[in-house]
Amino acid sequence: MIELAGVGYRYPGAEQPALHDVSLTLRAGECLGLLGANGAGKTTLLSLISGLRQPGAGQLRVTDGQRPGMVPQQLAFYPELKVRENLELFADLHCLRGQIRRQRMDWVIARTALAERLPRQAGNLSGGEQRRLNFAIGLLQPTALYLFDEATVGVDAHSRQLLLATVEELTSEGHAVIYTSHYLDEVERVANRILLLERGQVKLDLDTRALLGEQHGLLLKWPGALPEALEQELLAMQLPFKRLADGWHIEALQGAELARLCTLIAKLPELPSLLRFGRPSLEQLYLHLSGGAL
Amino acid sequence: MILRALMLKEWRILLRDAHALAVLFLMPALFLLLMAMAMANINLDRQPPLDLTLQLTADDADSRFFQRALAAQLKTRSFTVIAPDSNGSAQTTTLQLDGTAVGEPLQVRLPDDFSAGLLDSEPAEVTLIFPARTDAASRQQLRGAVQIALAQTRLMAFLLDSGELDEDSSEQERLELVGKRTANRIVEQELLASGDLAQRANATQHNVPAWLIFGMFFVMLPMANGFQREQANGTLLRLRCMGLGLGPLALGKLPPYFAINLLQFALLLGIGVWALPLLGVPGLSLPGSPLAYALLALCLTLATCSLGLAIAAIARSTEQALLLSGGLNIILAAIGGIMVPKGVMPETMRQLAEVSPMSWALDAFLTLLVGQGGIADILPYCLRLLLFAAVASSLGLFLFHRRLRETQWTTHY
Repeated sequence: MIELAGVGYRYPGAEQPALHDVSLTLRAGECLGLLGANGAGKTTLLSLISGLRQPGAGQLRVTDGQRPGMVPQQLAFYPELKVRENLELFADLHCLRGQIRRQRMDWVIARTALAERLPRQAGNLSGGEQRRLNFAIGLLQPTALYLFDEATVGVDAHSRQLLLATVEELTSEGHAVIYTSHYLDEVERVANRILLLERGQVKLDLDTRALLGEQHGLLLKWPGALPEALEQELLAMQLPFKRLADGWHIEALQGAELARLCTLIAKLPELPSLLRFGRPSLEQLYLHLSGGAL
Repeated sequence: MILRALMLKEWRILLRDAHALAVLFLMPALFLLLMAMAMANINLDRQPPLDLTLQLTADDADSRFFQRALAAQLKTRSFTVIAPDSNGSAQTTTLQLDGTAVGEPLQVRLPDDFSAGLLDSEPAEVTLIFPARTDAASRQQLRGAVQIALAQTRLMAFLLDSGELDEDSSEQERLELVGKRTANRIVEQELLASGDLAQRANATQHNVPAWLIFGMFFVMLPMANGFQREQANGTLLRLRCMGLGLGPLALGKLPPYFAINLLQFALLLGIGVWALPLLGVPGLSLPGSPLAYALLALCLTLATCSLGLAIAAIARSTEQALLLSGGLNIILAAIGGIMVPKGVMPETMRQLAEVSPMSWALDAFLTLLVGQGGIADILPYCLRLLLFAAVASSLGLFLFHRRLRETQWTTHY
């Protein structure tokens, strides 16, 4: 679908390359969650994949030669035009004709629930509707690879579910997707693979389940003073834990250890205000992996 | 298909932009109407109003003949003589000319022996009394009219004396005969499409083309603004990611603005021809070949749209686009003889005006409207406009291309 081999890029006048030796193969049906701090190289990578820039080093190969469909963070449409006019404009620009055009238009309109908004001027839509139109235009192009960059910013919960379901549908239909968002719960939901960039290089490229499924942890919080007995027990069990202002986060917890801790907690005079057991969220993992650095 | 879609998009956006339409159509139309009315008395073909009193010393046939001859002469000099007949006084006749002047009237005083001395070799003196406010041109016009009226009166007396004119003939018959005998066949020719036409243009001939040109150059504003908006809201990024390059993006923008410019040209000329007379201002006449106007419209449109493209590519924000296009337009208009006719500018300013494409377009218009010129006469101005268009569009396309290459994938986190 798309293959990057040793790709590098340096902006004119810059001392350090924005991307260095990035290798990546994205296949049909894969949804890659692209993560990284500001300046990590996400934008440059998207620019190269979208064809906006050419790599300075290495090779970037798109299997079928098609340009990717893209949903940018900005509301990239013409607010002066009506919703239908915007969709028709971009369908024309993609040279969609006949039955393919009709089918594609119907599909994106249904997936973004814009049917009733077609006669309205795009600039007069609500924020969420505008975001859906932006999304719809990105999906108009029948192609093998789609790029989503903060595609759900500012949409309500219902619209978000609709749009995320569409991304999942694209993946399940065999399209490749690159999804980047600062809503890491979204990335966790739609991406089956996570790529973490750091200073222009790939720091981590793993299957999402493998990444998140390795360790389970326990988060405990107390409304008042922290019970000393519990901390003594944690030390005695030699469990790796992090002391928070109002509780503890205990990492790498196994079932027997959880049972022992729960028995102790039940005997305490004050019960915790929060007790959550499970695998870490992508956000927790991301903060851990990136060291929390800005 | 792509080009058609881009043009249709641009056309729709332009037609829905009320502010741009107001700037392109309403503003120049208002300027045109207001300035044409405000400057209505400049370089008129008719003379300014004058009050004239003719003092007759006797109510005789010769004095009455002189009165009629003088009235006829004043008419030929574009004075509108409203009441050439006697106002009832035996001694004073007022030739009330068009308008009501303030203060003392101009006077023509005939001597006591006017009739008796007509055939003398040295006729009696006729006195002209000018109020101080009377301008030099009006004095000269009246002096000439009186001289011819006197000569005609003397000829009439001679014809009567020699018997060539019947004593029983009416005053009108005498005037006609004398008129024929004194008529001169002078063919007046002018080297058209040359010289300082700006000084000869009346308010309509100056203001209609001037504000038309001004309005057409304002096409820069929506062009530059539209491009900035496209870049700011990420549409340009989307178009670039679709693989659209300089050709379709630039070509998709220009034709709608071409069309708007041509529409402005036709509409504002139409206002000059048909609407101005309704407001009591002389209407615009369009002498010469329609092809000459079409050629001028085409060259002017190419110049304005090319400059618009350059400004669109130079500006980095909508604010810059507004300042650059608006500011440049006003500066070009100020130095180009749009706001102040070049005819009243000092020599240095007139020379400076030659750097403004608006001045070239205005000169071409005046060559057609005032100088009665044709295509060959406006060709030098058209070539200058085309050269300007070539330079501006080359610069615009170069910068536009660079801007497209610099299109960034922008993220805000």
